[in-house]
Amino acid sequence: MSSNKKEKFERRSASQWAVAWRRFKRNKAGTVGLVIVITVFLVGIFGDFFAPYPGRPDPDALLPFYQGDVRKPPSWLENWPNQILNWKYPFGTSAIGTDVYSDMIHGTKYTLYVGVVVTLITMALAIVVGSTAGFYGGWVDNLLMRLTEVFLVFPSLLFILVFVRIFTLTVGDPFWTIPIINLKIPTGLTIVTVVLAIFNWASNARMVRGEFLRVRELEFIEAEKALGASNTRIIFRHVLPNILSSIIVVSSLTIAYAVLIEAAVSFLGFGDLNTTTWGQILQENFADMRTVWWAEIFPGLAILLTVFGFNLLGDGLSDAFNPRLRD
Amino acid sequence: MIPVALGISIISFITMYAAGDPINIIKMARPTVDKTTLDAIRAYYGLDKPIPLQYLNWLSNLLQLNFGKSLYGGIPVNLLIGNWLWETAKLQLVSIILALAISIPIGINSARKQYSKQDIAVTSISLFGVSMPTFWLGVILIIIFSYTLGWLPSEGARGGTKIWWGNPFLDEIAHLIMPTAVLVYVTLAQNIRLIRANMLEVLRSDYILAARASGLKERTIIYKYALRNAISPVITYLGIAFGAIIAGAPMTEYVFNWPGLGRRFVDATLRLDFPIVMGITMIITVMTLIANLIVDIVYVYIDPRIRIR
Repeated sequence: MSSNKKEKFERRSASQWAVAWRRFKRNKAGTVGLVIVITVFLVGIFGDFFAPYPGRPDPDALLPFYQGDVRKPPSWLENWPNQILNWKYPFGTSAIGTDVYSDMIHGTKYTLYVGVVVTLITMALAIVVGSTAGFYGGWVDNLLMRLTEVFLVFPSLLFILVFVRIFTLTVGDPFWTIPIINLKIPTGLTIVTVVLAIFNWASNARMVRGEFLRVRELEFIEAEKALGASNTRIIFRHVLPNILSSIIVVSSLTIAYAVLIEAAVSFLGFGDLNTTTWGQILQENFADMRTVWWAEIFPGLAILLTVFGFNLLGDGLSDAFNPRLRD
Repeated sequence: MIPVALGISIISFITMYAAGDPINIIKMARPTVDKTTLDAIRAYYGLDKPIPLQYLNWLSNLLQLNFGKSLYGGIPVNLLIGNWLWETAKLQLVSIILALAISIPIGINSARKQYSKQDIAVTSISLFGVSMPTFWLGVILIIIFSYTLGWLPSEGARGGTKIWWGNPFLDEIAHLIMPTAVLVYVTLAQNIRLIRANMLEVLRSDYILAARASGLKERTIIYKYALRNAISPVITYLGIAFGAIIAGAPMTEYVFNWPGLGRRFVDATLRLDFPIVMGITMIITVMTLIANLIVDIVYVYIDPRIRIR
């Protein structure tokens, strides 16, 4: 009896996040998405340790080429299905003689870099614009929303391509090295990232504004105003925490979108040639796809799976945070 | 509408200037050109005037549908663009109409039978469609249907190595099938998700319950009462997405080597041929704005409350 009571008490005191997590765990699709996302992150972080061949600027990446293994189909296909499978080149070798499997592993970190940084910048811009517009209203709102509209109506992919093309002309060093931790950041890819973020914040800003308008009218904000709290305090301490769940959901979907659009930019030949993102691998082998179909199929599958994972995660989180939308 | 168009035109013009001097690009390609020739080229293209004047000049030319001349070959851009526009419009219009016609009934059915097997199949297929890189789907289709099976042409809008299906008209249709399929699938996926979500929300509202209670036929409830409310967000989305759909043209057109605006845009941007780049951008922007205007008008018919406001 007493234990039962205790359980009830605990359940009542569970935070909003714990409740959402419990709901999320019950959602199969969302869990699958989370597993995919975690796997992709693990490959991105630790990929360098288990990739058979090193990353592209290293000349050893072309070792298959020197061994005469250019355009080799996936090696397990050779004696399929009778004999012992050969895993030398699981996804074959590319048109220029690199191991597609290694290329894809090295591409993972760049893909995640683009996805995460685009989302960080996008959300920062969206929160600043959306909260200013939503909280102050009036002419500020009007002005900012017109600006947002311009960016929404924009045929953004075209502008992204033009900007990326222009700015990559100015790139000097292919990599920046952060001194102490010795982390290399690709310059060209960073330009792509920033451009993507600049053309991507508008719809998120609209969402943040809508949420602000909703929360602003709630009674506890009125109470807080009556107590004489400053605007900054209300925005950061009271409104933002209340819309955090929506921001997390949208962030997951934004990562998915960023990965997809980066792949498109690289595929069209505008990407950073010094980094092997998945889109870049697709671009390099596109002209030879009649022969090296494996170098087109597997990187594309990686993109599809990653984006699918982030989308599933976003949908799952959305259901977990707003259960009433789902019955 | 007009401020948005002006804003976009200013940003486009600034973009062109962010590139720096096109003359320098010519110089990069041909270091031997002497200074007097470069100055003559600069004067010929009006690049020696102050920037605001150049903008006004460019804008007034734009309003007269005069986009200038290509930096490569000097052919006037508007002569080039007309043909490309037709090729793109053909592809996009067919896809958008097909996608709408298919997605509405599927989305409605999916919402009516939420969590049925059919609904789960439809939602997962459409989530796949949203997650799929457009161009990659094109690549897969080409590998399967052109290279392996040899059923359909892999590139271009017509002709090529042979006339498909023995007739110029059928030949064009054969070339249209795969690009249209790709575009339809991607647009369809997005539409179905939206229609389903909106329909679910509308079906749960009180007035539908009231309609059910008064014993109306299911068909009448769905198509006469629920659909009107469920479809308005979709139409708003289409207006906004129109830009994205048209601007997504480069991906599909690049894969299928389609001789439309998107493909030429990629080529021109890689060559930094700015009159063509700007011409295509402005045409697509204007088309997007017109689409938005049409959406606003259609909206009034679908949702009479707007007229009262």
